[in-house]
Amino acid sequence: MGKTIDIIKEKRSVSEEVKGRIKSFNRLKKMILKSLETGGKTIPEIAKETNEETHVITYHLMTLIRYGSIVTGELDDNDEYYSYEFKQKQ
Amino acid sequence: MTEKKEYDVLVLGGGISGSESALNLAKQGFKVILVEKDLSLGGKMIHLSKVFPTLDCSACITTPKVSETARHPNIDIYTFSEVRDIEKLNSGDFQVTLVQKPRYVTEDCTGCQLCEDKCPVVVNDQYQWDLVGRKAIYVPFSIANPRIAAIDIENCSLCGACEKVCPANSIDFSQVEMQTPIVVKTVIIAIGFNLFDPTLIPRYGFGKYKNVVTSMQMERQLVPTRPFNNVLRPKDGKMPDNIAYVLCAGSRDETVGNPICSQVCCMYSTKQAQLLMGALPMADVTVYYLHIRAFGKGFCEFYQQAKGMGVEFIKGKIGLITEKENGNLLLRYEDIESGNIKEAEHDLVVL
Repeated sequence: MGKTIDIIKEKRSVSEEVKGRIKSFNRLKKMILKSLETGGKTIPEIAKETNEETHVITYHLMTLIRYGSIVTGELDDNDEYYSYEFKQKQ
Repeated sequence: MTEKKEYDVLVLGGGISGSESALNLAKQGFKVILVEKDLSLGGKMIHLSKVFPTLDCSACITTPKVSETARHPNIDIYTFSEVRDIEKLNSGDFQVTLVQKPRYVTEDCTGCQLCEDKCPVVVNDQYQWDLVGRKAIYVPFSIANPRIAAIDIENCSLCGACEKVCPANSIDFSQVEMQTPIVVKTVIIAIGFNLFDPTLIPRYGFGKYKNVVTSMQMERQLVPTRPFNNVLRPKDGKMPDNIAYVLCAGSRDETVGNPICSQVCCMYSTKQAQLLMGALPMADVTVYYLHIRAFGKGFCEFYQQAKGMGVEFIKGKIGLITEKENGNLLLRYEDIESGNIKEAEHDLVVL
């Protein structure tokens, strides 16, 4: 199959909502990854550092885990929060 | 419109009922067309953790059934398709227009998911009930059948990255909706059910309080392909240790148009409570109910088993749920046994 993207581009355009989604995900991804540069952290710790709501961090962090950027670390001493860290490159 | 096709039976819906119907008829020699609106067969059951009261693995029941359906020579399957205009002919047969929506990915797709890594758009994953994101190009879920990616064109950025990276050259943006006339002798409607929308009861706080979840969201948290790494609160990723179930949420309630009992929430909540006791051994699970309707074979024993495992059952009607600053939830309820109004704090509520 050849390049077919140009066919759909003639019929459709990208909505502002989709552009906004890409921007928002990239911004949060950058913030979460930057926060983890200094070591494993829990969701409330990342939220505090990034000044974002915890549920927003939960959603995006879990999405990043799904696509392989981050892995789950240890559970804290109170058995409440997991820490999350960069996936070690092989 | 293309050439007219003829079948003995049209089965509408590729869930467990539709697949079972199609398979039984095909085994008797009937030519069957199975039409599923979703991207995969399996319906709701393929997404469940276990079934009650046997606690058999739900996907282990559904997946072989779906595979057998997909491979049967007497069954033609159309996923991501719908029917329009069913019309009865003078012969007694039905004329149907089959509508196949474009998935923008051909059957050459190997399900390798390299395209997902490259796709820049993240949207709510409907198969994880919005608890986590998926990409605009995606394989619906790991045990999907067919295991072929699809492009969510409404959310596609039209960047073409998927087309560049696809090793099977299976991306095809030239696909368009196709309509095919078919004639069938009979129609089986197995279209399943819609889940109740809990935002219709604002006092339960679903949508407003992130730690109020639906039973389907909890179901997903209990399967091996769960959205999170464990059962966690969506608000802050905390492992819950005091979970409440609110039964009859959306049923036996004239105000939302469902005056009768759902006949299912008692037992799936009891099942989930048992599974939670296994997943989170330190957690307390409380079920607020009006009446326990354990009417099927082995159901009452299953309910007694949950009680024996330590699940607390309180005969109470929830009036209001409010959220505390730490994300915990205060449940104000009528204790039906004593007639008193009481309050209880939980860190996760399942409707």
